[in-house]
Amino acid sequence: MIQFSQVTVNYGYVPGALKDINLQLRDGDFTLLIGPTGSGKSTLLRLIYMDILPSSGTVTVDKWSSYRISPRQINVLRRNIGVVFQDFKLIENMSVFDNVALPLVIEGYRRKYIIRLVRLLLDEVNMLQSERQQASTLSLGEKQRVAIARAMAKNPFVIIADEPTGNLDREASRNVLSLLERIHQNGTSVIMATHDYELIKDTPYRRIYMENGQILPPDRTFSPLNQRINLLADPQ
Amino acid sequence: MKFFFILRQTFNNLWRERTPVVATVLTICIALTILIALFEVSWTLYSQLSDLKSNLVIEVYLDPALSEKQAGTIQKQLEQYNTIERIRFISKETAADIFREEFGENITDILDENPLPISFEIRLLPEYNHPGYMSLFKKQVESISGVDEVHYRHAVIEKLEQLTEAIMVSGIFVLIILVFAMNLLIRNTIKLSVYAKRRQIEIMKILGAGNMLIRMPFILEGAFEGLIGGILSATGLIVMHKFIASSFSLVTFSLHTYKLIWVYTLSLGILIGLLTSAGSVGKFVNKIFSKK
Repeated sequence: MIQFSQVTVNYGYVPGALKDINLQLRDGDFTLLIGPTGSGKSTLLRLIYMDILPSSGTVTVDKWSSYRISPRQINVLRRNIGVVFQDFKLIENMSVFDNVALPLVIEGYRRKYIIRLVRLLLDEVNMLQSERQQASTLSLGEKQRVAIARAMAKNPFVIIADEPTGNLDREASRNVLSLLERIHQNGTSVIMATHDYELIKDTPYRRIYMENGQILPPDRTFSPLNQRINLLADPQ
Repeated sequence: MKFFFILRQTFNNLWRERTPVVATVLTICIALTILIALFEVSWTLYSQLSDLKSNLVIEVYLDPALSEKQAGTIQKQLEQYNTIERIRFISKETAADIFREEFGENITDILDENPLPISFEIRLLPEYNHPGYMSLFKKQVESISGVDEVHYRHAVIEKLEQLTEAIMVSGIFVLIILVFAMNLLIRNTIKLSVYAKRRQIEIMKILGAGNMLIRMPFILEGAFEGLIGGILSATGLIVMHKFIASSFSLVTFSLHTYKLIWVYTLSLGILIGLLTSAGSVGKFVNKIFSKK
């Protein structure tokens, strides 16, 4: 379970990147974080893998609490979380295989196991035929599929996807979403931030709307500026 | 697998930053060569100086008119110095024998008489074999009535001591500059490598890599530069050794086997590279990520 209790994040002298967030994300859920750019979605996700720590309040991720966590424990936490980014964060001069193998190398698994598992994962995302290819030569959609395979490598309890379709065309976006849905069906929690309302409008998952660093209550809609988008995003 | 990953990253870094790596390796090579050569030269000069000092005698010539009995009185006065290891009495006859041995002719045949004075050969205790005490001793002995002249080869010793000192001082000065340059270059290469790999480091951090796994390739990079610098330096020193040994047969070396040269240069090179890179990589990694 992931819990945010009265979490506020200020970046330097800029206050209110997140304001007094109270939120609970249950295990096994597929959660969509919806909101315009700058609404605080990425900040909220960064708190989960503790890339940043809250200015006040507490974030609890499984057995780890931001209130009292050492850098070493942060590393352990990150090894139990899969993260997918809009810009993929692949090591461009490494092969597809090596990119997916990286979390397993970090964990210190044996070579034989790594080879078997990486091939299985690449097959799962339909990228096995490109395992020797350099990441820099892949299309954007392929890069994102490799990034998802890497996120799955450690069999994480949660996958965080920060605008994973932000750079992709419609077809590649649908492929990525269906991949994440398949992962979710296997029991892994997925938290996906997006402002691609068209992509998610027909999905049945829990939605959390964010604006100006705050979670909007269920009875409130976006500001007039974002009204139209809100209507698009909500299937009801 | 982790080990091979680290090794591959190390060679990757070295290849990517090959121009600064070459500069660093050459600086390490020059610094190590100068360091070892300086040690060798100082050691050689010091051992020559020690040999010279241990064989050094002070010759005390008495007034030619003095009898052997009067010379005996002076010897007793000299024996009161507790800085003297031994005194050898050289009579007029012994002096003539020495002359004959050295020049092959009998002095009385040339001059009809033996003009050589009675003398003493004095060897001081090793701790007093330095120019400062010797000149004081010379003055004191010269003031004894009946002593005509006191001689020792002070000029050679003083020159040798001055030379050793000058080599040491200038060598240390050059060495400090080189160590500074070496440190700067290694740190710069590591900084370039860290900067070039900042994205990879960021990704590895997100994936939960520990500090050791992130830093180790850069630390090994420094050690590898030290190793190559050491190999080049050892090769250069061995060539120099061979040349000097064939040209000047009397010169002895402190590092008398090539194995010793290899051991010293390689271990020093690796140590310098390892310590400098280990000392700087953490700082550069933190610096880059604190700017984010």
